[in-house]
Amino acid sequence: MHRLTAVLMTLALTVLPPTHTGRAAASLAGETPEQLGGSSEPLVIVVNRTNPVDNLSFSELRTVFLGGRSHWANGRRITLVMRGPGDPERKTILRDVCGMDEDQLKTHFLRGLFTGEILLSPKLLATPSGVKKFVFNVPGAIGYLRMSDVDDSVKMVRIDNLLPTDKGYKLHTQLQVVNETE
Amino acid sequence: MKPNRQFKLFGTSRSVISPPFLDRLLGAASRHNARLLLFMVCLGVAVVGVFVVRDLQAASAEAQKMYSGSVHGLQQIGELQYYAQETRRATLYALTTADSNLQVEYADQSRDADQRVKDGIAEYGHQAKSLAESALSSRLSRDWTNYLNVRDEVLASILEGSTKEAVSLDLSGGVPAFELVRQDLNEVKRLYDQDASQRLANLVASSRRSSLRLAGILGFTFLLSCGAVWAIQRAQMLSSIELANLQMEFVASVSHELRTPLAVISSAADNIADGLIQEKAALRRYGSILQKQSRSMGRLVDEILLFASTEEGKNRYVLQPLQVPPVIESVLNSTEGLVHNSGFAIDRQIEPDLPFVVGEVSGISRCLENLIGNAVKYSGDHRQILIRAFSAPPGHGLATEVRISVTDRGIGIEPAEIARIFDPFFRSPSVTEAQIHGTGLGLSLAKRIAEAMGGRLSVVSELNAGSTFTLHLQVAKGEDLQSAQLTPRSAPLSRP
Repeated sequence: MHRLTAVLMTLALTVLPPTHTGRAAASLAGETPEQLGGSSEPLVIVVNRTNPVDNLSFSELRTVFLGGRSHWANGRRITLVMRGPGDPERKTILRDVCGMDEDQLKTHFLRGLFTGEILLSPKLLATPSGVKKFVFNVPGAIGYLRMSDVDDSVKMVRIDNLLPTDKGYKLHTQLQVVNETE
Repeated sequence: MKPNRQFKLFGTSRSVISPPFLDRLLGAASRHNARLLLFMVCLGVAVVGVFVVRDLQAASAEAQKMYSGSVHGLQQIGELQYYAQETRRATLYALTTADSNLQVEYADQSRDADQRVKDGIAEYGHQAKSLAESALSSRLSRDWTNYLNVRDEVLASILEGSTKEAVSLDLSGGVPAFELVRQDLNEVKRLYDQDASQRLANLVASSRRSSLRLAGILGFTFLLSCGAVWAIQRAQMLSSIELANLQMEFVASVSHELRTPLAVISSAADNIADGLIQEKAALRRYGSILQKQSRSMGRLVDEILLFASTEEGKNRYVLQPLQVPPVIESVLNSTEGLVHNSGFAIDRQIEPDLPFVVGEVSGISRCLENLIGNAVKYSGDHRQILIRAFSAPPGHGLATEVRISVTDRGIGIEPAEIARIFDPFFRSPSVTEAQIHGTGLGLSLAKRIAEAMGGRLSVVSELNAGSTFTLHLQVAKGEDLQSAQLTPRSAPLSRP
């Protein structure tokens, strides 16, 4: 089984172009997009459609994801939405935005909640569809999705005035593998 | 003095309605065809039946429409109430868990349900038939939107993890807003019940009207049928009575016609037997009288037998192409004695180059002899008879025909009697009173013979001015003429 998965991953990496947004790709946890030879997909920061925010600087994004900011400019409470531990997108956020690993993030939020610096811990959702529905239902929610999972129910936010399709966009995650033999 | 008017056969009308008008009408109906009357009654009953079936179908369709409308309306209201409750129920379910994935799922269910409610309200508004329903639809839509605004805030609070805030929001805003929606839905149901009651009342009234109509129609049909049966029976009875009277008159007339020559024959025979007649000249005169009277009796008996055969429909003629002038000459020769002895003169106008006609010599001769005999009998003091033969031009959808007419300047026929002169045994009362002898079979016999040859007999008469009887004969066609070259042109009258 593991040998078949490895063969499929190798085949996908060989055939698919670097900007391909499909689901057949390799899951190579722990390796950067550069190490994967460019087989990655933009990771999009999404908010509720009623949220007036269109652009965030990378540092503002880091502050939000670390719970350092509790409300948006319109007064709505910020609700952070994340995928569960082990998810590739979560790893990308932890690595590229928070600059932490799982343990450091856990410690950070425990300390913040204890001291009162952080009011709400992140909401954990199991699927991209769940993330979309959560962001759609909660006006102050912010989360992240692969570019291929984004639709009109949520709003994309520019990071440092760059759209996910623009050159120089910083957030990319590994292409996901779908093991069709299982 | 009676007015001089011309009456054509079957073209008469009566201006005075006498008390036994119904009996005369029924008598006329029975003479023509009692089955026609029965057919008309059946047709009337069938038309009534069609109306009844249509009425029942309309009532059934109305009931079905009301039933299907009621079921659909109840289903629509039930779905509205169910999905409104489901919207709220799913929202409250989200309060019962801290799992964000489950909360999102409940939120999704709530939104699906609220979309169905919106669709239901839109359909209700689209189907609104009254101003009250339209206003209620608008109010329900507004109240539902207000509740959904609160519901969205409650859901957001639940998903954010602020359960306390969510409960507070729901109690302060959600419960009153949903109560308004519930009242609106109750009002929808009340209006629907009111409308259904009205429709039910209309259906009951319609059903009652339909039942009354049905009863009326059945009653009318029953009366119509009873009347028809009575009319047919009465018509047949009148016809039978009239026939019996005519037959009695016929028997009396025939008896008289037979008794007269028989008395002469008996008297002459007695004189001869008793030796009262000795001279040779007197004996010859008596012999001539006996011969004449016995031939008269023979002709009468022949006529009765011929009528009996046509009455049973057994008479068949061998039809073939004939030339008309020789037949007329033959008839004039055979009736010459009668005509000259009565002091009559006959004018003839026979069109040259007449086409061949279809018929039989004996049949045409018999018809013409009867017509000439009648002309002599009913001419009164005007002893002039005209015989014409001419080809009638085609028209009115009829083919070309040859007509042979016999015209007298005699007493004519009463307009009221023209329609009956071809009936068997019929004799005009005025003729009977005038002591003009006859059996009442001559014209009937002539008409039957004409029809048996594919022709017809018609009459035009003017009272106190004379009558013209016309025999219409079909012109022979090409194939008849070809076959005529293979067979003799005249054949004896065939007898059964």
